[in-house]
Parts: sequence; structure tokens; C-alpha cells
Amino acid sequence: MTRIACFVEKYNFFHSREAEALQMFKETAQKLGHEFHFIFRNELSEIPKYDAVFIRAITDPLYTAYVVSKTAWELGLRVIDDPISIRICANKIHQYRLFEKYGVPYIPTIFLGKEEFHHKQIAEIFEVLGKPVVIKAPYTSFSKYVEKASCETSFREVAKRFFRRSDYIVVQKFMPSRFDWRVGVLNGEVLYVCKYMMPKGKWKHGVKRRGKPSFVWGRTVTLKRDNAPKRLKEVALKACSVVGNGLYGVDVKEVNGDYIVVEVNDNPSIYRGQEDLRDKDIYEKIIKFLAEP
Amino acid sequence: MNNDYRYMKTGYFVSLHAEILGDDVVPTTENAVDVYRPPILLTRAAKNGTPTMPFILTDSVKQIMAVFTFPVVVFPVNPFMFNGFKVAENRTALYMAVKSLSMNYRYAVCAQPLKGKLLSVKSFFGECVSEYGEVKAVAKKVYETFNIPVCKLHVQRLNGKAYLCGLQLVEFGEIQPSDVDLLSKMVSRFSGKGWSG
Repeated sequence: MTRIACFVEKYNFFHSREAEALQMFKETAQKLGHEFHFIFRNELSEIPKYDAVFIRAITDPLYTAYVVSKTAWELGLRVIDDPISIRICANKIHQYRLFEKYGVPYIPTIFLGKEEFHHKQIAEIFEVLGKPVVIKAPYTSFSKYVEKASCETSFREVAKRFFRRSDYIVVQKFMPSRFDWRVGVLNGEVLYVCKYMMPKGKWKHGVKRRGKPSFVWGRTVTLKRDNAPKRLKEVALKACSVVGNGLYGVDVKEVNGDYIVVEVNDNPSIYRGQEDLRDKDIYEKIIKFLAEP
Repeated sequence: MNNDYRYMKTGYFVSLHAEILGDDVVPTTENAVDVYRPPILLTRAAKNGTPTMPFILTDSVKQIMAVFTFPVVVFPVNPFMFNGFKVAENRTALYMAVKSLSMNYRYAVCAQPLKGKLLSVKSFFGECVSEYGEVKAVAKKVYETFNIPVCKLHVQRLNGKAYLCGLQLVEFGEIQPSDVDLLSKMVSRFSGKGWSG
């Protein structure tokens, strides 16, 4: 029997489908004969009592989730997401540099430093990548801090905001598509495959409503992992291999019949009736991975 | 050596790039992230034999009061604060400290009991100016564990023993002429020994 702690924050229960998925993890673990408890940020001292930690809260090296992950890692526990994966996935510059080193096909990307943020450089970026471009803060997650700019004024406005927390930002070629592939990967194996559709008239999966704090999300179309294109799975697995062997959600774009990686995310969203729609065994596989000696 | 090893700042990206290219970097980006998160700093330091006090990570004042008696020292654990801490002598002060360091209870804080006298020393390659040998030993041990060339250590002394409480940035204005002498001495020793030393 393995004692599994699932680190969550209050917002993990706001969305009913996410709350149901968390409940599924609990039920599956108990069915397999393991203990499964939710722990919150005030219960860090409880970690030594467990054998494995599963993090579902937003991961970033500056958030509590990283403290939980690193503490568990130092104590020799099994952890999803492990601190190395968090550091790579929460910093897109780190990730793209690794893709570059290991030859993973990814979207044409330029890194822009605070020091090089001037007219000549911006003009050069537009010349190389065309208009519009996508500007990403390295700490982007859940479609936040990703914006489009088609002129220098909006480029400056967006970049200035992103430079507040980071001295470098990512500028990428704009590649519009009806959907992005999302491949869930665990320990070097494909777990699930979905299409994250763009909401009507929008260019990314999650878009903030104008003047409102809420987000509008596109539909999720799920495929059986065995029916997904082989090349897609190969590209996704290659991208994950440079990050680690934990649980990841790889965003992939299909361009002229080939596949290029947008990014690899740790802590991928798992919602009841969406990611688990076709392959029902994803909960079991994750729990078994955590429970392995 | 730019003293600013904060996550997502230029120094961090330079180290990261060098690490990916396979160069030896001091400090590593892993250590640069870890030392500014007090719970990780204390866990790793304790694992390596540095004396530390018990701590809790929480956003609840009630929990701190249930576990520790006053005075209590509180460090921030949020993405925006890399400097500063507060010592709370009573309940009101603790509420104020937690409210400000947790950014209105949005993030957690790291609380430790303050049983002895709190000292702040500047450490340059593990060497610091202090009259207490035990404080110097802590600085040395912390440098052995994390390899942070320039930092400020918060240490509490109790019954002739020093306990590590936190590690933060040295503000530029805090560096005295005597510190520069110590720093240049350490740099020459360090470069003389080579990076592997």
C-alpha cells in the first residue's frame, strides 16, 4: 500500500469537471489499495508521512507547489511534477533552448532581452517572423501571458508588461489553426490525445473575455490514443524526453502535414469527461506510476 | 557574481544558458531558485548538517500561534519578494506581518520561532565578518551546500550555537569598503584555485 498526497489549492475545486477528476484519482487509488489524501498549503509538514506526492496546483518555481515538490524530492518521495520538470516547463526559454539542443521541431522562436528592447530589434523581429507575432512570457500557463501583436505599438505595450517579471521574453511566429493537438504523456508513453479547439473567431484555446476577468475556452475533442497519428505521438514523446519522465501535456501544431511542438506543460489539465473521455485508464496509469516502488 | 540570482533575472538566464551548453556554473540555477525559497533552503541546509530551527509554511496566523510561542520570525514565500522579513513579538504584530508578507493571504509565509538573538551577516564565498565562530561555520556550510558567492545570511544565536534562518540578497548600498576587501581576497583565492576548487 502506498500513501499518496495530492497537493491542491482551493481553485482546483472551482471547476466541477476538475473536482470530479480529482475525485476519480482518489477513488482509483483506493480501489487499487492505496491511501490518497488531499493536502493544502498549510500541511507541508505532513509530507514526510507519505510515500508519493501528486501536484495538481499551478506549478512555478516561485509558488508553493515548487516548495512541496522539492521538499518531497529531497525526502526521496516519488513526485509528479518533479522539481526539474517544473523548472523546465515553467520557463519556456529553458525549454526552447533544450529543444534547440536536442533537435526537437518547434515553432520559429526569438528570445528578446530587456536590453535589446528597441525599435531596430522589433523591426528585425517583424521582418524575420512576419506580422503578427505571438509574444509569450516565459512563465506562461493555461493560455495566460500569451498575446498577439501586429504593430510596434502593441508589441511594446505587451512586452513592457511581460518584462516586469522576467528579463527575457519569447517571440514566436503566428501560426493560426482551428485546433492544437494536446498529447498527454506519462513516463515516456502516450496517455491521451485531444484536440484543443479554438473558440469561434479566436486564435488560442483560452481567451479572456474583453472587460471581464473570466475566460472563454474552446471545445475539447478527444481521440483514442491508438487512433492518433503516429508521427504526432513520436514528436510529442521526443519533446517530453528532453524534459523528463513525469506527466506532461504537449501542445503540438499541425502544419502542412507535419507536426511542430508549441510547448510542453507540466501539471496538464485533466478534466472529467474531456481528457479521459476515450481512454478511461489514465487515472489508473498515473496512480500506478506514483505507487511503483 | 552580480549578487542578483533571482529567478527570471538576467543573471539567472545567463547561468541557465551556460548550463545548457554544458559549462560549469556557480551558482547553479537549481541552487539559485532554492535558496530564495526559505522552506527549501532550510530543508536542504538541515540535510547537509547546518543547524536550523523548526519551521512551518502557512498562510494562517492561528496555525503559527498554535505551533510556536512568541517571538516569531516570518519570511515571505511569494514570487515578488526576495528581501525582508518580520519579527513578531505578539499576536497583533504577527497578523500584520503575515498580512503584508503573504500579500494579503494570497501566498504562504515561512514562520520560525525566534529563541535567540537574530544576526544578519554578509557572506562572500562562505566567509563572513563575525565575532562568533559558530556563525562563520554556518556561512561556510551554507556555501558548501549551495555555492552562493554573495549573499546575506540571517542566523540566530542560542546558547553558543548558530541556527540558519534565511538567505537573501545583499543590497548594493549595504556593501562597505571592508566587504570589498574581503570579497577581492576571496575572489583572488577562488580564481587561483580554479573553478573546480
